[in-house]
Amino acid sequence: MKKRALFTLAVSTLFVGLQAVGGSSSVQAAEKTIKFGAPLPLTGALAPEGIKIQRGLNLWMDTANAKGGIKVGNEQYKIKIIYQDYQSNTPRAVQTAEKLITDDKVNFLFSPFGSGATKAASGVSEKYGIPTIASTASSEAVYNQGYKYLFGTFTPNITLTQPLTDMVIAKRPETKTVAILARNDFFPLAIANVMKKSAAKRNLKMVFFEKYAIGTMDHSSALVQMKAAKPDWIFATGYLNDLILIRNQMSELGVKVPVLTMVAGPAYKEFIDGTGKLAENITSAAWWHPAVRYNGKGVMGKTENFNKLFKAKYNLVPDYAEASATAAGIIFQLAIETAGTLDHKKVRDALATMDTETFFGPIKFGANGQISSLKPPVFQIRGGKPLVVYPDVIKQIDLKFGIK
Amino acid sequence: MLYLQILLNGLLLGGLYALIAVGFSLVWGVLNVINILHGTFIVLGSYIAYFAHLYFGIHPFASVIISGSVLFCLGYVIQAGIINRVVAAPVLMTLTLTFGLDLLLNNAMLIAFTADYRKLILTDSLGSYDLWGLILPLNRVAGVGLAALLTFGLYRLLRDSNIGRAIVAVRMDREAATLMGVRVNRINAVTFALGALMAGAAGSIFSIIYPISPINSGLFLGKAFVICILGGLGSVPGAMIGGIALGVIESYGALFLGPEHSTTLAFVILIALLIFRPTGIMGRKGYE
Repeated sequence: MKKRALFTLAVSTLFVGLQAVGGSSSVQAAEKTIKFGAPLPLTGALAPEGIKIQRGLNLWMDTANAKGGIKVGNEQYKIKIIYQDYQSNTPRAVQTAEKLITDDKVNFLFSPFGSGATKAASGVSEKYGIPTIASTASSEAVYNQGYKYLFGTFTPNITLTQPLTDMVIAKRPETKTVAILARNDFFPLAIANVMKKSAAKRNLKMVFFEKYAIGTMDHSSALVQMKAAKPDWIFATGYLNDLILIRNQMSELGVKVPVLTMVAGPAYKEFIDGTGKLAENITSAAWWHPAVRYNGKGVMGKTENFNKLFKAKYNLVPDYAEASATAAGIIFQLAIETAGTLDHKKVRDALATMDTETFFGPIKFGANGQISSLKPPVFQIRGGKPLVVYPDVIKQIDLKFGIK
Repeated sequence: MLYLQILLNGLLLGGLYALIAVGFSLVWGVLNVINILHGTFIVLGSYIAYFAHLYFGIHPFASVIISGSVLFCLGYVIQAGIINRVVAAPVLMTLTLTFGLDLLLNNAMLIAFTADYRKLILTDSLGSYDLWGLILPLNRVAGVGLAALLTFGLYRLLRDSNIGRAIVAVRMDREAATLMGVRVNRINAVTFALGALMAGAAGSIFSIIYPISPINSGLFLGKAFVICILGGLGSVPGAMIGGIALGVIESYGALFLGPEHSTTLAFVILIALLIFRPTGIMGRKGYE
């Protein structure tokens, strides 16, 4: 009997608590605010990425609100981002996006993380006609669905591998063969496949192409086979854990190569800390890099200013995922201010015709909604720092060859 | 030469795998407790080695003593204070308990150390030795050597010491051991502590090979399961043979079927073994 009473008490407390939460949000909604929905993987396997996007979005929201918010016609609106955790579960990302639109009545939407979940959720925003910006989707399949309300800040994967291939061949014409080792996972495999295309386009011979399973604890067999094939260029894909292990095992097994490219890890400080001297001369590409310099419009202004604000708020150096999220917010703000209204159709048209520059880079979307103006930088680790080798306008250093 | 190099790589990997499994197998075999904490214990050992190296410059091979002792004490306290209360209950009960404890410890480590990968980098790395075209990664060779030494130590301890014989007695027949005057609860705690010690020592050695993050605990635990079933439960030689077999099978699997399917081959053999020899390669009937 006593237990039952306790249970009733617990349930009623929970209920009252929930009502209190609901109540407070409706009070806030009475202010002049624009609501943005952000379905993100805040827990589960993709949590590190989800938190990065949240950091980027929060920086935009706080900076813009401190300056008075978004100007719509003659009125100022505060920004409110409603986050919903979809627990790294893609089907739930779709439900969450729909809930944000129908229950929370958000004006605009940010996409979930990555190409897969963005593609899945894009149908929902299209159905309701809600302008949506994807900050971490690069796959062209996401944008080639004929949708009108989806825009994305990442260029197709091939824009990462093609400039790199062109540059390697231009600077080292004797480069003839390439070996690829790819993590069997959505993005790492996609980037490996476009690398294969870029290599074929420049007549490089593929001497090794293998996938490894997620959670692989030893790469020695693959590396020994690669070594036997004597490639001029090794292209390895995966995440931090994989790439640190691969680089260390390469050194242990005496695999030496003129060019070593790794995606996506070298952009992070943890990679350089985890490989030490072995990081030297590794090349990589990403959609953005803190060393790029753009004279941006919007609340962030120049790239230097974004880096400074990010560092001040989080005591971290921003990476491309965080920068892209902040940029997505700024793009929305610029489009709304240009449209001068919250009307979905008009904001959508302002996005479609946008031609401007932000700290992230020049912003202009193609007919399918994917950004077409951005030139992703290629960088190389030198003296423990990632330095830009391409494009020429922001180049910090010349590409160097040789991995010991 | 390629085949020989891959055999060597497989043996070295197998040596490390054996060290993952030996403590896990001991606890499972003697206490009938499936210790889900094992992977997290290994990661904790790695963190101890990492910080001992960072702040005091202690070589990870030397910090085996520190991480082993710390984990021994932690293991003793966990078994004597918590698991002993339900040790006689069905295996599902202790499994759930260690699962819960693992969630606690692993999340505490996530809060303390974050999920960011760290890597211990030796300033005086041994490098590699070229033996007539066969590449010997010396850090790994030394790590496996130390692992073999530790495993041999545990083997002798179980065979030659009073406490070791008591552990073996409990493993064979819990009730008879009690009747013979063995203090079973104490033996349980010592056994669990020895399992944790081996995990901590493994963690120290692994810190020079693998990136360190609490997220990796599941990888180690998964390997421990497979090795125990391959080699047979509860015996030190079983874990050794199981670990080496898995290392060699995975290495040749990666060569013949591609790295994507290196574990596929290992699991096919595992299933076959479960059908035809459920006690594992070295296991004895009654302990499956």
